[in-house]
Amino acid sequence: MSSVTTRPAIRTVGNTARKLATPAPQPAPRKRTPLVVVPSAPRRKSVVFVASCFAVLAAALVGVLLLNIQLSQGQYDMVALKAQQSTLTKKNQELSQEVQNFNAPQNLAAKATAMGMVPSAGQGQIDLDRSTVSGKAVAATKDEKAKSAIIAAPAIAGQLSVVPSSTEDQTTTDSAQKKPAESKTTAQAPAVPQVPKVQLNGGTVPAPAQRTPGN
Amino acid sequence: MVRTGKTKQQGTARRVQLRLRIGLGIMLTLLLVVGGQLVLIQGFDVGGLAEAAQAKRSRTIELPAQRGSIVDAKGTVLANSIIRYDVVIDPKQNTSVDSFRRADPQDPKKTIKISRDQGLRDLAGLLKMPFEDVKKAATGTSQYKLLARGVKPETADAILELSVPGVVTQGTSQRVYPNGAVAGGIIGFLKDGKDGIAGIEQTQNSVLTGTPGSRSFEMGADGLVIPVAPDHITPAKNGRTVKLTLDSDLQYYAQQVIQTQVNNLGAEWGSVVVVEAKTGKIVAMADTNTPDPNNPGGVDAKDRGVRSVTAALEPGSVEKPLVAAALLEEGKSKPMEQFSIPNSYTVNGQTFEDSFSHPTFNRTLAGILGYSLNTGTVMAGQRLSKQERYDWLRRFGIGQAPNVPLPGVAGGILSKPDQWDGRQEFTVLFGQGVSQSVLQTVMAYQSIANDGVMLEPRLVDGYINEDGTEEKAPTGPSRQVISKSTAKQTRDMLESVVTEGEWKDAAIPGYRVGAKTGTSESPCDNGRPGFCGYTASIVGMAPMDNPQYIVEVLVQRPQDKIFGIDGADIFRSVMGQVLRVNNVPPSTGKPVHLDQFGPGGSSGTGK
Repeated sequence: MSSVTTRPAIRTVGNTARKLATPAPQPAPRKRTPLVVVPSAPRRKSVVFVASCFAVLAAALVGVLLLNIQLSQGQYDMVALKAQQSTLTKKNQELSQEVQNFNAPQNLAAKATAMGMVPSAGQGQIDLDRSTVSGKAVAATKDEKAKSAIIAAPAIAGQLSVVPSSTEDQTTTDSAQKKPAESKTTAQAPAVPQVPKVQLNGGTVPAPAQRTPGN
Repeated sequence: MVRTGKTKQQGTARRVQLRLRIGLGIMLTLLLVVGGQLVLIQGFDVGGLAEAAQAKRSRTIELPAQRGSIVDAKGTVLANSIIRYDVVIDPKQNTSVDSFRRADPQDPKKTIKISRDQGLRDLAGLLKMPFEDVKKAATGTSQYKLLARGVKPETADAILELSVPGVVTQGTSQRVYPNGAVAGGIIGFLKDGKDGIAGIEQTQNSVLTGTPGSRSFEMGADGLVIPVAPDHITPAKNGRTVKLTLDSDLQYYAQQVIQTQVNNLGAEWGSVVVVEAKTGKIVAMADTNTPDPNNPGGVDAKDRGVRSVTAALEPGSVEKPLVAAALLEEGKSKPMEQFSIPNSYTVNGQTFEDSFSHPTFNRTLAGILGYSLNTGTVMAGQRLSKQERYDWLRRFGIGQAPNVPLPGVAGGILSKPDQWDGRQEFTVLFGQGVSQSVLQTVMAYQSIANDGVMLEPRLVDGYINEDGTEEKAPTGPSRQVISKSTAKQTRDMLESVVTEGEWKDAAIPGYRVGAKTGTSESPCDNGRPGFCGYTASIVGMAPMDNPQYIVEVLVQRPQDKIFGIDGADIFRSVMGQVLRVNNVPPSTGKPVHLDQFGPGGSSGTGK
């Protein structure tokens, strides 16, 4: 800072000059306390505070990351479960179809005939309430084989068919259905796998042997 | 010297200040730019970027509705939609590669190199197609080639595992009919796998087709749905299941039986209809040469309908009981009224004869039915005026199409009485000069069986929703055609036809049966004049103490054995089967034997 310039005091020469009232001599300028670096008091360590702040921040970020990972994982799980559901639905359909095929009346009748069963000849009735027997029940005979028409098996690709081809006179159903069924199947042959020829009910093709399910 | 030092310091200080200010200014400007851009993009969305991004992420897909199935009265599935796959190849892509990599079956983490031919060979093996065909389809510049249709899901999965380049599978829905030709004409079939064009598939198409749903969601670039984004699903409403009143096993039985008969007699076609008397439900409706809906092209176009409802024929003598009921109801005759009937009867210049020649004999009204006399029918029926004859036939449903959910239902032809010529006004009494379908005849007899109350025929029992709840189809109106006592008397006469009359072959042991046969001359088709062949029919009901079922068997133009009674075997076996399968208790009470001749016997002097 600017130094305080000292003014020289007024000198009196002789006594001609009136004695002036001399201002009180100014007190000597205060000397400033020399500045010295004061060692400050040791500050308390607030690293813990900062560190905890950072830790909270990191935890929050990690938490958000984990949440997002869970969500995405859930999404992947859902996709996998949906695929599993789809597979099970298809399997269910396959099995239901097989059951329905076995249940088809034509196939049942054909299987029964193949096992040697015959339609019943006559029926009687037993009335338990009145303890009466009515009707004319007649035992079925083995050669009770009328030339009955054969209703063709359902023409579903890939399903087994147990309806034998008719080896007797061709019924109009069979011949009418045989030719178009053949042409349709041959047209479809490149398209559909596992179409057994037996579904044609061809008149000149020998009756197929009974196939086991699942073939 | 101090002065210069002071200025230098001041100068430096000012320069530093200036630099700092400039730096701050630049930073603030940049901040302003960024902030402004942020406001512009987020706030005002200049350039529509947010919208564009949203549009790019969003997807809306249609969720197809599954077609409802058709089941019979017991729940047997008659028509069903199943998942199948079409195998499609991109020839351009396939031709462009010589080899490709596939996951090693031994070690899924590794891949092995497969040549193009080997890949196609594997594919041909799975599809059971010759390799040359597959290679030919896979070579070319087009981008789409259908290789196979209707492939099973397991095969489709196996095909995808092959990783042949350019091969994809597309899921489709295929309609299958597990029972095939049984009830095939009634069920109908689809066109292009989508809409029904015959039978129940056609008439119930709107119920069977559901409503497709939609799903709008957001998908990321990795092809995965973004979980936190809005995901709206409108679920598809699958088609409802239609439940029919048919019994598939009885339907099969009836179909087999009528087909055998038609084949044996060399007839054009035949039909068997079984209806529940108390409810009007159609239990079986069998025609010959029914199509298999899995392959409708397998039969001629004329066989693809349901003849039981679409073919109108002259009924013949089965119309006589309706006329008898009308006479009873009008009070113009009684079952025991005796008539003296000559061999040929002339009225208004028209002469009528019977199917067998006989001397003049006595028959009661019951006997006229029992012996199916045309002469007697005209003698008694002429007591009704022309208008009365017309009205009574109309009341029995003749000339009006029954309300059945099948396409092409025939109403038959019953012309107005003023259009009848001198002969027709009498021939309608014995069922010639009027035409009706088999179902119409059966429903007329249903009213006689049901104490005079005629119901509407029912083919659709109800609808089953996805949640399993069943909704019954609305029943049509019923109407009292004849009084209860008239119906009883008519039933007695029908029973006497079997017990006393000519048609004892229709009897079923253990049950009381009433029946009537008809042998009518069939007009030639294609507009040719005259008659060609005969229509042989027999219609009956059982058990007569409380009729449960009505069965009609009709054979059109048999080459041999043209009489209605020749269908008695068929009638007996079908009716017997129906009664047995439904556990109908055997008849109690004495069978009715109405006197066919009247006082004094067949040749005694009449009243």
